[in-house]
Amino acid sequence: MDCPETQGLLAAFHDGELPAGDRARVEEHVRGCRECGAMLADLARADRAFRVPDPGPAYWDRFNARVTDRIKREAESPGVAVLRPKDGWMRRQLRYLVPAVAAAALVMMVVRYGGMRPGIPAPTAPPSTGGRAAPESAGERMAGGKPGSLETRKAESGPVAHRTSPPVPADGRIAGVTREGRNRPAARPLPAGSGETSRDRAAAPAAIGAPSPPPTTLRAGPAGSPPVPAADGMAPGMGAGEKKAAGAAAPMAESQLSGKTISASGRRTAEEPTAGSPCEEARTLSARNRLREAEDVQRACLAGELDAPSREKGLVFLAELLDRQARFTEADALIAEIRRRFPDSLPLDLYLRRRPAVQKRSMEVPATR
Amino acid sequence: MSADLEDAKDERLAAQAAGGDRDAFDALMIRHRQAVYRLCWSATGNAADADDAAQETFVRVYRSLSSYDPSRPFGPWLRKIAWNCGLSVRRDGNAGFPGVAGGDPPEAVDPAPGPEEAVAGNEEGRRVADAVAGLPAELRMVMVLRAVEGLSYGEIALAAGIPAGTVMSRLSRARKRLLDALGEGPGGGS
Repeated sequence: MDCPETQGLLAAFHDGELPAGDRARVEEHVRGCRECGAMLADLARADRAFRVPDPGPAYWDRFNARVTDRIKREAESPGVAVLRPKDGWMRRQLRYLVPAVAAAALVMMVVRYGGMRPGIPAPTAPPSTGGRAAPESAGERMAGGKPGSLETRKAESGPVAHRTSPPVPADGRIAGVTREGRNRPAARPLPAGSGETSRDRAAAPAAIGAPSPPPTTLRAGPAGSPPVPAADGMAPGMGAGEKKAAGAAAPMAESQLSGKTISASGRRTAEEPTAGSPCEEARTLSARNRLREAEDVQRACLAGELDAPSREKGLVFLAELLDRQARFTEADALIAEIRRRFPDSLPLDLYLRRRPAVQKRSMEVPATR
Repeated sequence: MSADLEDAKDERLAAQAAGGDRDAFDALMIRHRQAVYRLCWSATGNAADADDAAQETFVRVYRSLSSYDPSRPFGPWLRKIAWNCGLSVRRDGNAGFPGVAGGDPPEAVDPAPGPEEAVAGNEEGRRVADAVAGLPAELRMVMVLRAVEGLSYGEIALAAGIPAGTVMSRLSRARKRLLDALGEGPGGGS
């Protein structure tokens, strides 16, 4: 075997993909050829150099609990999954289009035969109280209905809102039927210190090293609400730690049990108090590039009662909002303040790593209100 | 986790998890989470998005367990989901998955350099890290699956949905770029 032929097989040889006969011939050639031997060594060197940064043991320690928490929250946050970037463009469009058309059709029927105008909440019971209100979507089919799945347990335990194909909202609104599902809190006033719990931020897994907020801060609803054993969506055998992590989603289950229903689109019915917190609002507004409003809301959030980790992260997020509005001096001052109050702030460190990119973007794209 | 679960095959664990066995699902996560994270990282090129995609992968796996056929190998199925999740995050830029109620904040990942850089702190380490980060996702993917996970060309082809010949050519390109970053091209190494 000569050098060109050997070199053509070197990679496959290195990767163990050659049949025994070829392997022996390459091996023999390489043993006596310095050039081909060096090329083979280079392949190994390249492989050794290739490394994926490992997030570290603390990250892995929390990984399973975070996934469990996410499963729980997604199962109990109808309408969100609709926006999941999952499939092709056409399918995504259809996901928005189909519910919107269905909503439009129903509203037209209501307007014509029910003597009602769009925008006025229907006095009748919302469709979500009667179980599934729309044909099963692909996402639901994927999730299946096997006994034991979170979705199935939810369906068994009480009213369930359809997650992936929101049908007609109870209030008859059409536009943005899915988008609003996601951005629901943005449509609400944002009372500072309104007594709402900071569900999303508190429920979200804390950064490594930061203690989880106490369960009392995670649960909305009336004080002393009874536990929710059946509707908590927990799988049998889930440990106490997991239940604590997953308990973040409990407020919605409580509201369902207490008769506060959620429309099939994910929108809460009119009589129901909002579960959104100012912090949540800020994130939503920020995602929509309504930065000034997001900043106001975030400040309102920070003016309320927050545990230390949530406050730390909230301040960092406020700094980011300032940066995104190209108010770098104010952001600098805030960052200095965060550093003073939380000298070892990991959220701040993480933000500082991506801050240059944020600042660069803010100068390229002027913020809109 | 019981020794029984530790020794169980993926397919059996998946079947148990589909039946509501949380311990089995946990065992699957423990077994595969690092490989999933690496694959997601190869798709996204950064830790925050890889974290998001890795979590989302297992969320999707959980939701899809009921449709999983245990007679088919679990690994390729999982890798396909992971890769797609990674690409979804990448396609959406920094938006990540919507998540729930405002979404998860990015999980803190260890910002410390790897052991090599920590010890050497050298220019070469940074160059290689830059070269790795600068590889197109498709090249990173084949490198992760081959050099880190040790998959065969056939398995990589299955995961990536490309012919085995394309796997080889991508590996070749990726290695050449890494060797260039190391300062000595193919044939010039020690």
